[in-house]
Amino acid sequence: MSYVAIQGGAEAISASKSLYQKMIHGNFLAKDAQQAPLLFGLDRIMSEGALYSQQLGLKAIKSSGCDLLEAAFYLRAHRSTCQRVGRCSTITSYDIRTIRRISSASKEIPDGQMLGPSSDYILKLLTKKQSFSSKPTKCRATTGQQVASALDELRKQNKIMQPEVNEEEPFDITRSSPLPPYPRSSLMQMMARGETGSMLGFAYTTMRGYGDVHPTIGDLRIGMVAVVYPHPFTGNEVTVGEIRVTAVETVGSFKKDPIDGKLRLATGFGFCFGFNETKAIAMSILDLALTYPSFSIGGTGVATSAEMIIHHIDGIESMGFTNHFKLPHYVTFQADLHTFNTAGEHRDD
Amino acid sequence: MTETTFGFFDEDAKKEIRRALLKAISLPGYIVPFASREMPIARGWGTGGLQVTLSIIKEDDVLKVIDQGCDGSVNAVNIRDFIVSTTEVDTTSLTAKATVIQTRHRIPEQPLTENQILVFQVPVAEVLTTVEPDTARQKNMHAHREYSRLWVLLYEDTAQYGDSRISNRYPVEINDHYVMDPSPIPRYDIPRLNNNPALLLFGAGREKRIYAIPPYTKVTPLTFVDRDFQVETFPGISCKRCGTSDVFFDEIQGVDGTYYYCSDTANCDSMLNRKQNAA
Repeated sequence: MSYVAIQGGAEAISASKSLYQKMIHGNFLAKDAQQAPLLFGLDRIMSEGALYSQQLGLKAIKSSGCDLLEAAFYLRAHRSTCQRVGRCSTITSYDIRTIRRISSASKEIPDGQMLGPSSDYILKLLTKKQSFSSKPTKCRATTGQQVASALDELRKQNKIMQPEVNEEEPFDITRSSPLPPYPRSSLMQMMARGETGSMLGFAYTTMRGYGDVHPTIGDLRIGMVAVVYPHPFTGNEVTVGEIRVTAVETVGSFKKDPIDGKLRLATGFGFCFGFNETKAIAMSILDLALTYPSFSIGGTGVATSAEMIIHHIDGIESMGFTNHFKLPHYVTFQADLHTFNTAGEHRDD
Repeated sequence: MTETTFGFFDEDAKKEIRRALLKAISLPGYIVPFASREMPIARGWGTGGLQVTLSIIKEDDVLKVIDQGCDGSVNAVNIRDFIVSTTEVDTTSLTAKATVIQTRHRIPEQPLTENQILVFQVPVAEVLTTVEPDTARQKNMHAHREYSRLWVLLYEDTAQYGDSRISNRYPVEINDHYVMDPSPIPRYDIPRLNNNPALLLFGAGREKRIYAIPPYTKVTPLTFVDRDFQVETFPGISCKRCGTSDVFFDEIQGVDGTYYYCSDTANCDSMLNRKQNAA
């Protein structure tokens, strides 16, 4: 393993920016030119709408005039017209063909840090001409082999908490409404289709002042993963396609493991359809706050409350309710006025 | 569209930041609010440090930027490139040659001098945040030097774990008065804040706060009288590259074991040079 004091930071940034440009201009990943500049919007609504269909997603963006909350709503509504055919085999983050994989926990990780396409280091200046590497940079996706998590070394050393799983089958929020105490799987599903901005807001509370999560990103990866499904006639496993996904594991503080009283590090997991690093990181932080709520030094914050998170992060629901106030409320407001007037008269007497 | 000015900001913005800095230096450890400007680099990525650097840097300054002790890491490169693109100042990785050093999470190993300014990037400006998130109450607590809740926090950890769980951002008392967040430097760097000849400036862009430790100021970590302040030590460990020991190390998990390398890469380079010259 080679190591140099001055890392190839400059080169890596330049390549990363250039790959990002290629990605959003359609020279990479996107099949048609129409899709490329809409990539992150499309990915966001497929995740929030909980329906992975690029074709329908693009249609939804058009139909909604690029109002992404509304576009996600179109996709979610469309779900109700689709017959469920079954369940695909479990996908693990190890299976992702990564095009970008980083860890902020340590400089060097097994299988290497791969900056890949990212806007992180692009200066957000509209007027300045930005120079990107003219060197031919190729995005390489890992192929075939599984890529272990950068945290697995610590896991092997038994230094990471393993949350208790007392569910035989994962909960299915699309078929029944979760009740407290909320199974972790129901919370994870709610978050996987939660609205990016809401989750970001809640996650921010816990890292900024109302909680103690200042996480370290153990392993963040974006890439493509195969969806494998048992063939309805033969029963053999067949790959039905690939989806873009984001997965992240974050490390929090340490605590006493109830299993044996040993001190272990707590981790959180975030996963969503499409490339949406902000959402996946926010989800992993919320998972960390919800699964290990006793961590908050500064008392409990909103993000440690499953009740708070599970009911308030869905964009389609919160947007619908917020907008329903535009409906006529003549009757209720008339009733309000009545009680208001009565109360006023009572005070004046 | 107006032309780009030296140091990105307009002169009024620089003036405002400088005034906040002057106030901060006059009141060591006191947190000064300022109208943090929008930057073309994302909040949380060093915009506070960047604003401080851009408002104090002059044409003849020599700039060094490090992240985790490393000049070549991506974030350091990005910030340095941006500062250079708007100031065209000379840059260096040699600590001794730099006049302004912007840093994230480390203090260079090589002792600083009176001619140097160290600018820290700060994520959480307010040391009381972990025990009191309300801004108005925090201000009140500082005014009364009411730090009992911090002490309770330290005590609870010490009782349970033998020491505080605060590994970085360890609370420090400045000049026997305000308690301050030293930014996420490791404990190893905390004693190195004390009586430092350089001017130490702290900028938090997202939180819109600036504070400072003037040269030769007394800085003490909060510790109980019967307990010594513990720093990270690396007994028996030396850098795989330059052979130095008694510095702060990065731990690297290799396929055939664990290696240690200097966290301060510029120091690693000069140690290696010295070794090669001696040989």
